[in-house]
Amino acid sequence: MFFKNYRTVIFICAAVIAALLLLSYNLKNGSGTHGAKKLVLEAAASVQAFFNLPVDWTKNAWTRYIHLVGLEEDNRKLKQTVAELQARLIHYEEGCLEAQRLRELFSLEEERQYNFVAARVIGKEQGAFSRSLWINKGSAYGLQPGMPVIVSQGLIGRITDTSWHNAKVMLLIDQGSNVDALIQRTRAQGIVRGAGVRDCVMRYVSKTQDVREGDLVLTSGLSNIFPKGLLIGRVSSVERPNFGLFLQIQIVPLADFASLEEVMVVTGAAPQAWAGKKASE
Amino acid sequence: MIYYLLIPFAAIALVVFQNTLADLLFSGWLTLEVSLALVIYAGFRLDALKGAVSVFILGFVFDCVSGAPPGLFTLIYLLIFIFSFLLSMRFTAERPALIAVVGLACSLIESALVMTVYYFVLKFENLSDLLFAFLLQALLVSFLTVGVFYWMDRMERFFNGSKGQFPRRTTTGRISAKA
Repeated sequence: MFFKNYRTVIFICAAVIAALLLLSYNLKNGSGTHGAKKLVLEAAASVQAFFNLPVDWTKNAWTRYIHLVGLEEDNRKLKQTVAELQARLIHYEEGCLEAQRLRELFSLEEERQYNFVAARVIGKEQGAFSRSLWINKGSAYGLQPGMPVIVSQGLIGRITDTSWHNAKVMLLIDQGSNVDALIQRTRAQGIVRGAGVRDCVMRYVSKTQDVREGDLVLTSGLSNIFPKGLLIGRVSSVERPNFGLFLQIQIVPLADFASLEEVMVVTGAAPQAWAGKKASE
Repeated sequence: MIYYLLIPFAAIALVVFQNTLADLLFSGWLTLEVSLALVIYAGFRLDALKGAVSVFILGFVFDCVSGAPPGLFTLIYLLIFIFSFLLSMRFTAERPALIAVVGLACSLIESALVMTVYYFVLKFENLSDLLFAFLLQALLVSFLTVGVFYWMDRMERFFNGSKGQFPRRTTTGRISAKA
């Protein structure tokens, strides 16, 4: 009767005492993994795995999304970097090529002991009868009309007009251009004149002279304008007409006038190289 | 009988779920103690035998899963259950504000008991750092308790019709005749 009336109270008290004993035992002996706890942990691990499925799935999806967003951003940055690097590479290649050209030009200064002013080609005139260039140096740099203009391959023309910071160069192939020249092999002298589309012709070479295709043509240095020994071109054809006293000689200039970017203006020379001019002055 | 067979599995599922959720939401900084809210609910709504068994099992599972010394939360949950049960004889937990206050008080009691055991028995120090977390947790539990009461009452009505199966105690300490 007593137990029936106080069953609930007795049960609760028993539960509290059981919990107290369990706690006391575990506090005293350390909370090892006993059988009931093993069962609970085993079951909890399975439930945990079940709950972790959607969590992991969501986490992975989110991580992948973030990763994709990052990839897109990375891709955009990399494309931008590639474009910048390509532009820089082109710039460096241009610089490298320019340096090579300038090295060749400046080597002339060392070889021939000329005084040069380097200039950049800023424009071209291709008229019916005239072939000329504009360069970015003028009288402010000591340039004057008549000064020869050369590149590493040889002579390309002379200055005809100057402003303070620009100058006009008449090319060898201009029909108004006349240069005292000689054939290197035979020393036969003549005048190289521009012929427009037909490049150049060499005039006033006697029929008696031995001139062949492939002979090199140099400046003779007689005119006090061009230093002696500058390369002009190569003989491309020689004709001996039945009438007249002179040979008809076609000259192909060694310089490529279509691709000129930097030139050197000869502003002075060593006495032995330009003796004629110094003497006239 | 089936109720008592299902209780351990439900307890394991609940504890693991609340731990997973707490890890997700608070990174382990706070515990989302739905189990404590259920203990309070059991104290107010369940009969003593059923409630005590449920709370004992729930506490034991919580001990096992949380890594606390086995018996600690079993004892604390039982004490809170008894406290709630005694309160239920004086108050009817119908108003959310009262439920929240009870939840807050029970959570503070739990924290105080845990700190006492850890400080005096297990000789843990620097527990003062956890005070703020315990306060936050108590607030959280108070909100959770209101939610648990609301949803459990709805479930009770859903499964058992408009009349709840669980007893509503009167303020005289007797079980309501309606129950």
